Amino acid sequence: MNKLVSISCMSEQAVQMINITEEVHRIVAESGITNGLVAVITAHTTTGITINEPLECVETDILQRLEKLVPDDDKYIHAHFLPSYGATSNNSPGHLKSMLLGNSCMFPIQESRMVCGSAQHIYLVECDGPQTRKVYIQMMGE
Amino acid sequence: MIIDAHVHPIYFDTICGDDSVLKFRSEQFGIYKQSPYSYEEIIAEMNFGKIDRSILLPLDLTTQSGGSIVTNEEIKKIIDRHPDSFIGFASVDPYRKDALEVLENAFANLKLSGLKLNPSKQQFYPDDKLLWPIYEKCREYDKPIMFHAGLSWEPNALAKYANPIHYEQAAVEFPELRMCLAHFAWPWVREMMMLMIKYPNVYTDTSMLYMDSFNDFMERIFMKEMDPLTLERNFAKQVMFGSNTPRFRAFKLKKAIENLPFSEKVKANIFGGNALAFLGEGK
Repeated sequence: MNKLVSISCMSEQAVQMINITEEVHRIVAESGITNGLVAVITAHTTTGITINEPLECVETDILQRLEKLVPDDDKYIHAHFLPSYGATSNNSPGHLKSMLLGNSCMFPIQESRMVCGSAQHIYLVECDGPQTRKVYIQMMGE
Repeated sequence: MIIDAHVHPIYFDTICGDDSVLKFRSEQFGIYKQSPYSYEEIIAEMNFGKIDRSILLPLDLTTQSGGSIVTNEEIKKIIDRHPDSFIGFASVDPYRKDALEVLENAFANLKLSGLKLNPSKQQFYPDDKLLWPIYEKCREYDKPIMFHAGLSWEPNALAKYANPIHYEQAAVEFPELRMCLAHFAWPWVREMMMLMIKYPNVYTDTSMLYMDSFNDFMERIFMKEMDPLTLERNFAKQVMFGSNTPRFRAFKLKKAIENLPFSEKVKANIFGGNALAFLGEGK
């Protein structure tokens, strides 16, 4: 049995960690799937999905390190007008941060619950906000 | 009060109920791969950029394309719902036989705050006497005009109509009429300065970015094409912050202008004071 659910998240900062763990737990519990896998996948190229501990200091370090690795004011080739969009996005830092973070994560489902460690929380990381974003929750099992 | 003087609300979901209308808008405006967004999302982005209000621009293309990118009534609908966030302009196709009635209705009944005209897309020269009754109507109501000027990315929109030289006659004959030649008339930046130095009723805005990054482009225009003090010395009361949303993201453009070494007084003018003067507030 497969089940796909999508959730929508609106960021309010250019770069922001949005904890979606509780929502994924709820969706898995309501899915009717007892044993299997759940994948959490972002629908975008300027967001990331990452697992980490929900401590403010950890979140701060992650965001500061991302900024240090991919500074906003560096020189990027993608910084130009895009005729196919009719717009200038100038969002290379978002693409590169997204690349570092990855676009998905997976967890087992056992006895209708998503199995994860107590420190493991799921973050949608906005890298080119503020925007409304979509995340797919794909569940597979029996 | 921080004001973005140049926003096209084509993806505001309040006015995006009809797919065929949205398709027409997207094709006429020449913007792709974007979707409607909610008021909450618009406000989140304005809040993040610390932008208090945005001037919303429609465009009437009745005789050229058989419709409007955004109508005056749609602008009115948005303004009525969110009067604290947005300032609404009207538009009229100058070739319409009922152009003056449309404009009269926009000012007298819809209570819109100014007029948007796009010579490139609407295919007229601003010094064509066809426009004189329209300019006269704006003067009668003391409403400013936001003209497109310089390069237009929209399809079927020739730059020849929007060269600053074609606005001079109107600036001379209507000295009380406040007019903004948007986008710094890029690439005609020198011609834009020529008009502003002579005509204090002529304004421009910062909504330009057709190459490179926000920082690089603003640096080149304001620090290299002009001397670093040119704007400060000569045009401190005529340049408004404008983003051209949704082509360029407002908070990124704003940050690039904030990074320029203008005085705080001049930045305050650019980010709000000049727009208030252009709108005629506090006269």
